Order: sequence, then structure tokens, then C-alpha cells
Amino acid sequence: MNLEDVKVGAKVMIRDLKGKEEVIRRVEAMGLRRGRSVEVLQKLGRTILLKLNNSRIVISKDIARNIYVE
Amino acid sequence: MKSEEKNIKVALVGNPNVGKTSLLNHLAGTTLRVGNWPGVTVEKKEGKTFYNGYTIYFIDLPGIYTLEPLSEDEYIAYRFLTEEPPDMILNVIETPNMERDLFLTAELLELGIPMVLVLNMIDEAQKLGVDVDTERLEELLGLKVVKTNGRTGVGIKDILTAIVETYEKKITPKEIRYSEDLERLLTSLRESVKETKQQLIKKLLAHKEYLHEIERLYGKPAQQVIRENRFAFAHGLYNEVVKRKPITSTDITTLLDRFLLHPYIGTVVFFLIMFILFKVSFDFSKPFMDWLDGFLNDFVSPALGLALIELGMPDLVLRFFSEAVIGGVGFVLTFTPLIAVIYLLLSFLEFTGYLPRIAFLMDRVMHRLGLHGKSLIPLLLGFGCNVPAIVATRTMESKRDKLLVIAMIPFMSCPARLVVFSFFAITFFKNPALVIFSLYILGIVIALITAITLRKTILRGSLEHFVMELPPYRLPTLRLLFGVVWVYLKDFLYRAGTLIFAVSILIWLSMNLPPGVEKPEDSIAGKVGKALIPIFEPIGIKDWRVSTSLIPAFLAREIVLSSMATIYLAEGTKKKEEFSLSESAKEQLFGLLSATKEAFYSLINPLPRTFEVSEEYSNLRSVVSKSMDELSALSFMIFILIYTSCLGTISVMWREAGKKFALGFLIYSFLMAWLSAFIVYKVGSML
Ligand SMILES: Nc1nc2c(ncn2[C@@H]2O[C@H](COP(=O)(O)OP(=O)(O)OP(=O)(O)O)[C@@H](O)[C@H]2O)c(=O)[nH]1
Ligand SMILES: [Mg+2]
Repeated sequence: MNLEDVKVGAKVMIRDLKGKEEVIRRVEAMGLRRGRSVEVLQKLGRTILLKLNNSRIVISKDIARNIYVE
Repeated sequence: MKSEEKNIKVALVGNPNVGKTSLLNHLAGTTLRVGNWPGVTVEKKEGKTFYNGYTIYFIDLPGIYTLEPLSEDEYIAYRFLTEEPPDMILNVIETPNMERDLFLTAELLELGIPMVLVLNMIDEAQKLGVDVDTERLEELLGLKVVKTNGRTGVGIKDILTAIVETYEKKITPKEIRYSEDLERLLTSLRESVKETKQQLIKKLLAHKEYLHEIERLYGKPAQQVIRENRFAFAHGLYNEVVKRKPITSTDITTLLDRFLLHPYIGTVVFFLIMFILFKVSFDFSKPFMDWLDGFLNDFVSPALGLALIELGMPDLVLRFFSEAVIGGVGFVLTFTPLIAVIYLLLSFLEFTGYLPRIAFLMDRVMHRLGLHGKSLIPLLLGFGCNVPAIVATRTMESKRDKLLVIAMIPFMSCPARLVVFSFFAITFFKNPALVIFSLYILGIVIALITAITLRKTILRGSLEHFVMELPPYRLPTLRLLFGVVWVYLKDFLYRAGTLIFAVSILIWLSMNLPPGVEKPEDSIAGKVGKALIPIFEPIGIKDWRVSTSLIPAFLAREIVLSSMATIYLAEGTKKKEEFSLSESAKEQLFGLLSATKEAFYSLINPLPRTFEVSEEYSNLRSVVSKSMDELSALSFMIFILIYTSCLGTISVMWREAGKKFALGFLIYSFLMAWLSAFIVYKVGSML
């Protein structure tokens, strides 16, 4: 499953990140790393709001599509 | 004895929005811009302090997540660290998100520069149940660790002590050990003891054979292996030093976001907040502005006149003071309350963390324009002042987006324009608040037209991915809030005292030259203004006094008012009135009290007070209202709104986007301004 399909309110664990290298580098540095658990707080239009640990991150769905979770 | 120069150069480095600038402001007494969203600092800034016989120079850098920069502001931080390494790095960490932040720490440690680790936002960490064992952290990394609160300034002194101790004892952090195979390869590349880990990694990444070797050993590309090693370091260290206590209270941010980021409720609340902002900035400041206006005209001016007559000054000096100084500079100063209130409200918005949330809410709208929600942040900042807003586009990763946003920002109406609007709208219209509101909307519409046109022509291209961090809601301290407002006010007052003052003198002189000029329209000012009339006549500006004021207004828009005031007053006749100093003073004091009462009362009145217009007009209002009608006033305001009549904006555009862009934009904005004013004027005349 990828992060785009996760329902609002659900908590999932990140398995893998794919896609453009520079995008992966960025989101990983912001905390979206393998093995971390994230909660989907809100989906709005083309973006998704995530909570990981104590930070909140907005990513566009094209990135979320490349993040595999379980 | 010759005193030795003891300087320490310290760079503040850390993720965005962790409180670097807040700490610097406490450390060095600076008043640099702080705000609760990532990307506030986009330029290298400095501050210094003296401590224990040392001069410590601090360099504040834009926040970065990694040492692999993508946007311009990140390059600024990266280049500084790699090209002119400081004596020491002050690595600021947002303690509640320590694991994330330690990734950058790993990269910084690879640089081999001495470091002091600052665990900031310790107050929030405590609330979230994050407890850090500093001694263990110091021991593991071999450096000094300080806990601070950048909001209140707790722990600031400890930073200074730690810096000096690190410097004197030459404390250098322990080298990080990555996984065995990686370390083996790195060590084999070492040619001198001086080489830093960063240099070794660079060598490794350029070494074809080793890259293959790593892929073979780990089954992944070397880049990724190195990155994962840094993550592992961060993760391991975090688990080693952080004890998490369970907490029961729900987080206020989560609670608020449930409403404020709700697709429907959030949008409604957004418009409500904007309405309140608009209403309060007007209604609260208006009584004070009216009072100041009266104070200046009915008290300061006659009192000064009296004093000058006592001193036996000639009539020309008297006129100079009442027309150029009080009329021109003083008139602009009467708008100080409006400027203060609007900046107070805007700064509050910036401090709470609502600003990036607007970007999230409005992403759908921005997307239609081919922009990210994130680009809304510079646009919103434009309502405060276009100049820093344009600089703020440095956080954007794509050049196309950046140019697109820069071309939109100047149409966001800033307080300088509001000052002009409030004068004209109140003088000419029954419903000034509505007129001004429509002007703001018109500015936004022109920005949209500009963006769409550019996107379809010279700035094509598709949208890139979008990532943004949303900070927790925070409250500023009152000291912080008023400090920021004071910085803006000082700037406004300074401009009034220098630029506007100088322009008023020039205008006044040109009204009185050539010497002995009889009719004002024969003066230099009159001739220049009249020469411009053919350009402005089609948009309803037929009076040379108005067209003349537009020339110096290119320096800053509010100058249009000071110039008009000077011109009109120099022309007008004055009526002499009886004036008693003591009685007037008493009157003014009572006036101020009732203005204060009225201002606070307006806060509990839900309807905008500015809908109701007072009957009495000040001197200038009544003369201006005779030389223009409603329609030409409207057309004039539209012209002022759209034409980028602001030297500061054009010059920062020049710096950030290039000469061609800036000059092209200036012409474009003039044409758009003229055309819009023309259409409104013509359509209006037909009705
Ligand atoms: N509660 C709390 N808030 C803090 C603390 N330190 C800073 N802040 C707030 O955090 C926000 C960000 O502070 P800044 O100093 O602008 O952060 P910065 O690291 O310079 O941010 P960028 O320039 O965007 O990288 C502001 O709203 C500060 O008032 C702290 O220790 N505790
Ligand atoms: Mg900063």
C-alpha cells in the first residue's frame, strides 16, 4: 500500500521510499524515514498532512504515491 | 601591554524554524525577523556580543534540513559553511524533534568544525514528555550541550559560557563511527590526518571502484548507504539519551487544527480572520488618527506659528513650517496608528503559526494557477511589505515559481497604499471600508491575471512536488510582539523624518520657484505637473497638483500624500483663529482620552465603524475634495494600487530577479495601472 491510499486518522509504518533522488533526500531529512510510523491527519485537494513524532509535514500526493507503507 | 584580539566566529546552524534567530536576538541584542514558520531567515545576518574578554561574532543562517541544498536560501547556508568555515558551529536543535534534527548534526560533525549543541524549545519538550540526558549526550559526542528557551531567553548565558569553554579548551567533537565496511573504505582513502570525514566521503563518492564495492557489500547505491548510516547514528543517539515519559493531555495544536484545517470550517474561519484583521486595523486606529490630525492642525501648527512669530521670523519661514513640515511630514505621521495596528496584527499572525496553514488550506486555489500552496507565504507577506516578501521567494526551489510569485507580490496592497487609500476613501466615499476592501481584491485579481498570462507565455513549465513543515501553534511574548512592531514603526518614522522630509522641502521649493512666482501653476512644480496632464487626463486626473505629487511618489507611495498636502497647503489661504496654548492643550488631552475610549469600544462592536463617516473634514480633505470627484479619486487609487510606485520594491526585484525583469515589470505595472484606471473611469463616467 502507498501513503496516498491511507485513510485519514490511520497510523502506518514506512517501508520504502521511491521516486526522484532529490525528493527522497528532502523528505527523509524531514523525518519520513524507513521504519518510522506516521499518522495521516488530513487530506486536502492535492496534499496530505502527516504527523510524525512531534512534527507535522505537508506533502503532495505525487510524493505520497511513492512512499510505501504498511 | 598590547591587548590581543580575541575573536570567535560562531555560525548558528539548524533545521528551519528551530529558533536560531530568536536565540541570536537574545545573544546579541539584535532585532532580526523571527516568525513561526520555516523559511523566515533567507539571508546571512550577523550580530556580535562581548563575553569574558572575547568578541563573539554570530552568523545567523537560513534553516536547512541537509547539507545537500536545493533552494537559494539553503545554498546560502551551505556555501557559508563549506567556503568560509566559522570557528565554531552552534547547532540549534528543536528538542521535541531531536531525532530528525540529529541527521543534520551528523552531517555537520563530518565537517570537523568545533561545535556546541543547543537543545532549544526545552519548554515544549517538557510538555511533550521528552527528557534529554545532557551529560550522556556530552559524553557520547564529546562536546558541550546547552538547554535553552529561545522564546524567553532562558539558558542564553550558558551558551556563551559553553562557546568560550569550547574555544579555550579546544574541545573537538568525537568522530562519528559509521558501519564497519564503510569506515574501512573511508580510512583507506585517508592521505593526511587533517582530512575531515566530509572530505573522505567526497573522495569515496568520486571513486568508481569503491562505489561498486559498496553496492556489492550493501546491495544499495553508496549515496543511500551513507545516508542510512547517518540516520542510524541519529536514531541510535536519540534512543540512548532521550527518555520519553507518557503524557495524557491532548496537544493544543492537534485540537486547533481539527477546526482550522478542516476543508470547510477552516475556509470559513480563514475569511473570518481576514475580516477581523481588516476591521480591527481600521476601527482601532481611526480614532487615534483623527485625534493626531486635529492635534497637529489645531495645536502644534498654531503653537509653532505663535512661537515663530514671537521669534520674529519672516513670513516665508512661517509658511515653510506650516506647509512643508507640518503639512507634508506631519500629515504622513498622522497615519502612524494605522501602521502600528496593522503590523501588530500581521506579526501576531506570523508568530502563531497560522501563516503556513493558510498555505495548506489554499493549496487547491494556488494549484489552479500552477503554483504550490507554499508560494502563498511570500504573497501573504506582501500585505505587510512587498520588499521582504520578494526576498522570501528565495525558499522556492524552482526558478519559474520564484519569478511567477515575484511578479504577483507587488499587487498585494501594502500598508503604504492603505495609508493613501484611507485618505481618499474617507474623503470621497460614504462607504470607505467597502472601497478599500474592493481595492485589495482588485490587487489580487491583477496578480492572478499576471500569473496566468505569464504561465501561458514566458514562464511555462509544470509543477514540482511539494513538501512543507507545519509548526505547532505558538504564542509570542508581548515583548517580542511589540519589539517587532517597533522595528516597523521606527522604519516608518525614519522614512518620514528623512526621505519624506527631504521630498517635502523639494516640493515646497519648487512651488516657490522661480523666485517671486505669483500663481502656483506658474511655478516649476506647476509646469512639470501640467506637462504630465496629457498622460493622466484620460484616467480622470486633470489637476496638475495631483500629477505633480505622483513624481516623487515613486520613492514610496505615501509620499503622494505628503506632496499633495504640501502643494495644496502652499496654495490655500489660511484663516486666522484665536489660539490659547493652555486651553488648547487641555482640549487635546481630553480628545486623546475619548479617542482611546472610542478605539477600545470599537473592538466589541462587530460591524466596521469605518462604514460611518464623520462629518468634519480636516483642512486638506476639504480642498482636495473640491479638486477631484468620486470617480477620479477612485481611478487615482486604482492607479496607485497597481503601478509599482516604490523604489524599494523595484530595487529588490532587480537584485532577486534581474534588471530586465525589474524594468520590464515596472513598465508592465504602469500600463496595467493606467489601463485599469482608464476602464474604471470611462465605465464610471457612462453610468
Ligand atoms: N515555545 C518556544 N518557542 C520558541 C523557542 N525558541 C523559538 N521559539 C519560537 O519559534 C519560532 C521560530 O523562531 P525563529 O527564531 O524564527 O526560528 P529560526 O530557526 O530562525 O527559523 P528560520 O529562520 O525560518 O530557519 C518563533 O515563533 C519563536 O518565537 C523556545 O525555546 N520555546
Ligand atoms: Mg531565522
